[in-house]
Amino acid sequence: MSSQASLSEILSTLYTEYNLKTPNKLKIVDCYLFYILLTGIFQFGYCCLVGTFPFNAFLSGFISTVASFTLGVCLRVQVNPLNRPIFKGISPERAFGDFLFANVLLHLIVINFIG
Amino acid sequence: MGLRLTDIIIIFSVLGSLVVCDTQSNNQDRTLVLLDNFNTKETHSSFLKILQGIGLSLDFKTADDPSLALSKYGEFLYEHLVILSPSVEEFGGNINVAAITEFIDSGRNVLVAGSSDIGEPIRDLAAECGLEMDEEKTAVIDHINYDKRDEGYHTMVVAKSKASLIDAPVVVGVGVNDPLLYRGIGLTVDADNPLVMEILTGSPSSFSYFPDERVKNAPQAIGKNTVLIASMQARNNARVVFCGSLDFFSDEFLHSNVQVAYPKERTYENSGNERLAISLAGWTFKKNGVLRYGNIRHHKVGETKEAQFYTVGDELEFTVDIEELVNGKWVPPIRSDIQLEFVRIDPFVRVTMNRSSNPITFKAHFKVPDVYGVYQFKIDYLRLGYTHMFSATQVSVRPLEHTQYERFILSAYPYYASAFSMMFGVFIFSFVFLHYRPNDKDKRD
Repeated sequence: MSSQASLSEILSTLYTEYNLKTPNKLKIVDCYLFYILLTGIFQFGYCCLVGTFPFNAFLSGFISTVASFTLGVCLRVQVNPLNRPIFKGISPERAFGDFLFANVLLHLIVINFIG
Repeated sequence: MGLRLTDIIIIFSVLGSLVVCDTQSNNQDRTLVLLDNFNTKETHSSFLKILQGIGLSLDFKTADDPSLALSKYGEFLYEHLVILSPSVEEFGGNINVAAITEFIDSGRNVLVAGSSDIGEPIRDLAAECGLEMDEEKTAVIDHINYDKRDEGYHTMVVAKSKASLIDAPVVVGVGVNDPLLYRGIGLTVDADNPLVMEILTGSPSSFSYFPDERVKNAPQAIGKNTVLIASMQARNNARVVFCGSLDFFSDEFLHSNVQVAYPKERTYENSGNERLAISLAGWTFKKNGVLRYGNIRHHKVGETKEAQFYTVGDELEFTVDIEELVNGKWVPPIRSDIQLEFVRIDPFVRVTMNRSSNPITFKAHFKVPDVYGVYQFKIDYLRLGYTHMFSATQVSVRPLEHTQYERFILSAYPYYASAFSMMFGVFIFSFVFLHYRPNDKDKRD
C-alpha cells in the first residue's frame, strides 16, 4: 500500500516538476517525440498483425521513426539550457541546423529504400 | 563441251561419295568371330545366322590365327567381337586381354561364350569386366533341374525362364517362356558393381563344382549366386556379355526339346535358347536398347528464341528429341518416364517430360526457382538394359532487376504513410520550434 502510494506520489511530483521546470520549447520537442513514439508503436503493431511481407518497406518505415526519435532526442539534449556547459560551442540554432540536415539525409535514404 | 565436263565431274563425285557411304555402312557392323576351330561354324550355324540376320558382317578366324588384329594403324578394324573359343590358352596375332579391353574402352561390344574347358585369357577378360569365372573343369551342376538326356553328372542344366531370367524386356525380349538349356561353367558377380547385370541365373539348387569329384570345399557359387549369363555395360555404353556355356548357342540346344524330370516329368517342345539368343545378340550388338537425343531447345513460354539467361520466376519450356533403337531402327522411345532436372548443385526442379505432337519430341514445362545462379538442364536417364543417356546444358539465372520489383504494395501503405508523416512531422515541428517565443515566465526559469 505504502509503496503504491509512494509511486503515485513520485509520479505526481514528476508531473508537477515537469510542468513547472521544463521550458516550453523543450515541451514542444517532447510533444514531437511522443508523436514519433506513437507512430513507431503503430507500425510495429501493424507488422506483428500483417507480417513482414514488404520487409524493406517495414524496415524503412520503422527505422525512419527510430532515427527521427534519436535525432529529436539529440536536439532536445543540445538545446536544453541545463546542458549549456557541456555543449559550449554549440548554440541552439546550430543544433537545430544539424537536426534539419540529419533529417534531410535520413528521409532521402528512407524514400530510397521504401519502394 | 565445258558443260559436259562439269557433268562428268558431278557424276564421278556422286559415285565416289556413294562408294564412301557403302564402305562406311559395311564398316559399321564388321564383326570378328573367334573360333576354337572351324568345326564350331557347323555346330553353331544357326546362331551365326542369327548374327548375320541382325545385320552383322562376320569375319571368321581361329583364336590362335597369327594374323589376328583388332586394330591397324590406330583404327579399329571391327565394331564387334564374338569369342566362341573358350579353350584358347593364348590368342594369336596382336590380340590379348589388354587389346580386347582397349576395344571395349573404345565403346565396342563383345560377346564371349565359355565352357568347362576354359582358358586363362577368357577368365582374365571376365575379371577385367567385373565377373569371375569358376576354375577350369568345373561346371554348373543341378541335381534337380537337369535335362533327362544328361550323362549322369547333371551338368546339362535347365533354367526356368520365368524364375531365372532378368526382368528386362529390352535385353531378353518378351517371348522367352520355354526353359533354357545350359551346359558350361558358372560365373559369379559382385553385387555391388552397378555396371554388371545378371541376365540368367541358376536355380536355387544349382552350384558350381568339379562334376566328377565329391564336394569337399564350399563351391564358388551356390544357388541363385550361380550366374549363367551376365553382362557388363561400361560407362561408355560398351556392352560385354559373358555366357558360361558355348553349347547354349549351339544348333543342338537352339533347336532342342527340353525334358524336365522335376517336379514332374514333362517335355517342352522347344527350348527358349533361340529366342533368348536372338534378343541377346540384338542387345549386345546395339540393335536394341540404345537411346540418343538431340535438338535441345529451351525458351520462355510464349517465346521461341533461346535466351542467354533467364530471370527468377520465368516460365520455361524445354524440348528435346529422343529416339530409341529398336531392331536396328530409330523409333520414338517406348518408355515415357524420362525426366528433366534443373540443377544448381542440387536439382531444384525435377519434372517428367511429356510427349508433344511429334512422338520423338519431349517437352517439359516449369517455373525457374526463386534462387539465382548458374543452372544446368540435365537429363540423366539410366534404366536397366538401356544405354546411359546423359545431357547437361548450362544456363544462367539472374535475380530481378531493381526496376522489376513490385511497387506500391497495398499492405505496405501504412509504412509509406508513417515515413511521410515523419517528414511532415519534421516540417511542422520546425515551424513551431522556430516561431515559438518563450514568455517571461519561461525566461525566469
